[in-house]
Amino acid sequence: MTATLEADAPAPAGEIPSFTVTLRVRRFNPEVSEEATWEDFTVEAHGTDRVLDALHKIKWDMDGSLTFRRSCAHGVCGSDAVRINGRNRLACKTLLKDVNPDKPITVEPIKGLPVVKDLVVDMEPFFASYREIMPFLVTTGNEPSKERYQSPEDRARFDDTTKCILCAACTSSCPVFWTDGQYFGPAAIVNAHRFIFDSRDEGGSQRLEILNDKEGVWRCRTTFNCTEACPRGIEVTKAIQEVKRAMITRAF
Amino acid sequence: MTEIERHDYDVLVIGAGGAGLRAAIEARERGLRTAIVCKSLFGKAHTVMAEGGCAAAMGNVNENDSWQVHFRDTMRGGKFLNNWRMAELHAKEAPDRVWELETYGALFDRTKDGRISQRHFGGHTYPRLAHVGDRTGLELLRTMQQRIVALQQDDFAETGDYEARLRVFAECTVTELLKDPAVGPDGAIAGALGYWRESGRLVVFSAPAVVLATGGIGKSFQVTSNSWEYTGDGHALALRVGADLVDMEFVQFHPTGMVWPPSVKGILVTEGVRGDGGVLKNSDGKRFMFDYVPDVFKGQYAQTEDEADRWYDDQESNRRTPDLLPRDEVARAINTEVKEGRGSPHGGVYLDIASRMPAEEIKRRLPSMYHQFKELADVDITAEPMEVGPTCHYVMGGIQVDPDTGQSRVPGLFAAGECAGGMHGSNRLGGNSLSDLLVFGRRAGLGAADYVVGLERRPAVQAADVDAAAVLTLAPFDAPAHGGPDDAENPYTLHAELQRMMNDLVGIIRTETEVAEAQRRLGELRARVGHVFVEGHRQYNPGWHLALDLRNMLMVSEAVAASALLRTESRGGHTREDHPGLDPEWRHRVLVTRRARDGADSTDGAESEQVVPRVVVEPAERVPMRADLLALFDLTELEKYYTDAELAEHPGRPADPGRPADPVGGTA
Repeated sequence: MTATLEADAPAPAGEIPSFTVTLRVRRFNPEVSEEATWEDFTVEAHGTDRVLDALHKIKWDMDGSLTFRRSCAHGVCGSDAVRINGRNRLACKTLLKDVNPDKPITVEPIKGLPVVKDLVVDMEPFFASYREIMPFLVTTGNEPSKERYQSPEDRARFDDTTKCILCAACTSSCPVFWTDGQYFGPAAIVNAHRFIFDSRDEGGSQRLEILNDKEGVWRCRTTFNCTEACPRGIEVTKAIQEVKRAMITRAF
Repeated sequence: MTEIERHDYDVLVIGAGGAGLRAAIEARERGLRTAIVCKSLFGKAHTVMAEGGCAAAMGNVNENDSWQVHFRDTMRGGKFLNNWRMAELHAKEAPDRVWELETYGALFDRTKDGRISQRHFGGHTYPRLAHVGDRTGLELLRTMQQRIVALQQDDFAETGDYEARLRVFAECTVTELLKDPAVGPDGAIAGALGYWRESGRLVVFSAPAVVLATGGIGKSFQVTSNSWEYTGDGHALALRVGADLVDMEFVQFHPTGMVWPPSVKGILVTEGVRGDGGVLKNSDGKRFMFDYVPDVFKGQYAQTEDEADRWYDDQESNRRTPDLLPRDEVARAINTEVKEGRGSPHGGVYLDIASRMPAEEIKRRLPSMYHQFKELADVDITAEPMEVGPTCHYVMGGIQVDPDTGQSRVPGLFAAGECAGGMHGSNRLGGNSLSDLLVFGRRAGLGAADYVVGLERRPAVQAADVDAAAVLTLAPFDAPAHGGPDDAENPYTLHAELQRMMNDLVGIIRTETEVAEAQRRLGELRARVGHVFVEGHRQYNPGWHLALDLRNMLMVSEAVAASALLRTESRGGHTREDHPGLDPEWRHRVLVTRRARDGADSTDGAESEQVVPRVVVEPAERVPMRADLLALFDLTELEKYYTDAELAEHPGRPADPGRPADPVGGTA
């Protein structure tokens, strides 16, 4: 038969031992009450477990109704952005040991988007902003029979902003977005940046017009929350600054 | 059932991964009203996890590459079980699909002269994988998502409605396909029933063509690299409505999944790590892959560490490292090392790139890998070797389709991508799945469009079928009809039991006894699944979602187990410890899974028969390869796989009836 994994193998030296941790989870179920409440769950965690692992343990063993999104569980699909101890993170990319497990760890939905149930928010306003900035290559003339050439340097110019996974961690960490739901938000600007600085694209001016709007890029107050929140390490604030500069200089 | 939300489309695409989006783009561009329905949010599909790249013989890096070489590599990787027509179309059309994606705006790593760069990968003769660092799948999916937004904006400009011709129904799960029995001899597809995750409300789609693009089945196994949505939905939906599955015994276990720590168990370490210099070592520190080059690959791989190491810099005059053998070979080798006591502390082996190149070089070449393990498990791959072992990664088996159109045996039902079967034979080469979903996603979208245009009469959804499907979908909210409340089953518990059982008994190494035991336990699970009871209401209820997914996983698991029991040989993603050799008599046979005729139709059928219909598996003959394609292979190679009788007509064979057959190349 298949060689099986030894789940109970002794931990080699230097490995972090298991520990007990309390998750303080924001619960909301509109079918029961209009009010959201905090609920504590205490689980046994392995030394390198993530917040997502703890949420799974709660759902599987303690309360099957706990509701959250997750799909790839690798930090690539961007489904499980939540607010952990007051900061936006992906539950699948946050190790419990890194968020002070000695005290209850708070887990709540990301802010600024309507909560559907527990940790699930309505993402549609977020995606609507994304669609507004024309997130697709705009070109004129005949399409090449094979490929457009692009030098490695030109391709590197916008590499950072192509890493976006549309998790909304940046946008929902932005104080401007919290108070003004009309603001495009960092993620939409990042995705505009991805095309504005793509040497193959010819829609830069149109996108800059859109972002020059009163709810556009000038609302950014450079608080760097977005850069701090990005689970992909994108320099979000820098990208926004580059878009602002492009708007003034029309050089991109 | 009253007041069910209803929608009417020409083509309904189920699944929003690469295959689904490519199919939807094609159907929309042919002018048909198209809907995409997906379980998760739009843009979150499993495709985003593909790291290595997209195989296409563009010849940008090595101009000796051609569709013929790609075709040969693919057939060899699949051990000559592949549907050769699919492999042919795939090899011929993949370059066009990559170039087309580039014109949509996809980002690619570039050669110095600005063309799309290509990288080496296991089983591919030349550097062939178009890639974007190690996030190729994410870029591919995002590009098609962007294309869909662009098409919607075109439609808005023309009609004033973004969703006039293309609409995405995200977080909407299809639970049953619906047929019109009055069209054709066996009925034709008429639509589907599903529910919104957010509200729990039911929704009926009327559509004469349905394209299944639901991906794989990995969540039936305990150790898997697959996303949480990979529950075999398309496989099960197709079976339920009368389509056939093929090759379900072939499940690919990727050789290098993390086995430790637990938070990353099953997560993939891309083959790119080995392509860029990472090597497999056992607990003695030995590079053991040199001991596992099977006869059929002898001569193609380096025999010494020196030669293997030279290959990274000079591929013309050296042979590649056996660390890059096809996935099934590497997975079995690791399994053997572990079983013979040379494994790592947690039941894997070591994958070492840390001692092979400077930390900065690793971070530059494999940035996502480095960050992923640092962030997901506090493992620094530049400082220590990884502990890796086989993880359930891909199912070669799937819905039997016409290679050119993607249509199943059910009129109006199409399939593409991982949920379709045949393309990869017994084992898929890395990089061939992104190209598969582009080539066949497009073909299925086109096939569906042509089918709808050619219809004389539009099939109609039957009210009684909608009612029956609705009852079945809502059944988990009903307390069990038999027994007391203690008999109510928890879906999470059942899922965990299914996964453990499939991993242990129908995993990478199989025996008759164990697979038979698995079938017995699947029988028990089937009875219990009928008693699943979920608490709470319909609004975003994860227990209910799993209860419905569980039915699909169970049905697919039965197909895998029954097929695995019948195939008494070892080949690709199916290894029978009690039948270790490759048997040419099995090469020309295909195992077909279909829904059992009795059961659903019988009035006294147990409720579990309705919830999870029984399946039967029977062998059939494969269609022989076209002569011009067969001629692409040397006779000596074919003799390792084919029976003597099959090769009697081969032009390379001397007319000598007394010639003895070559011994079969065993690879166990």
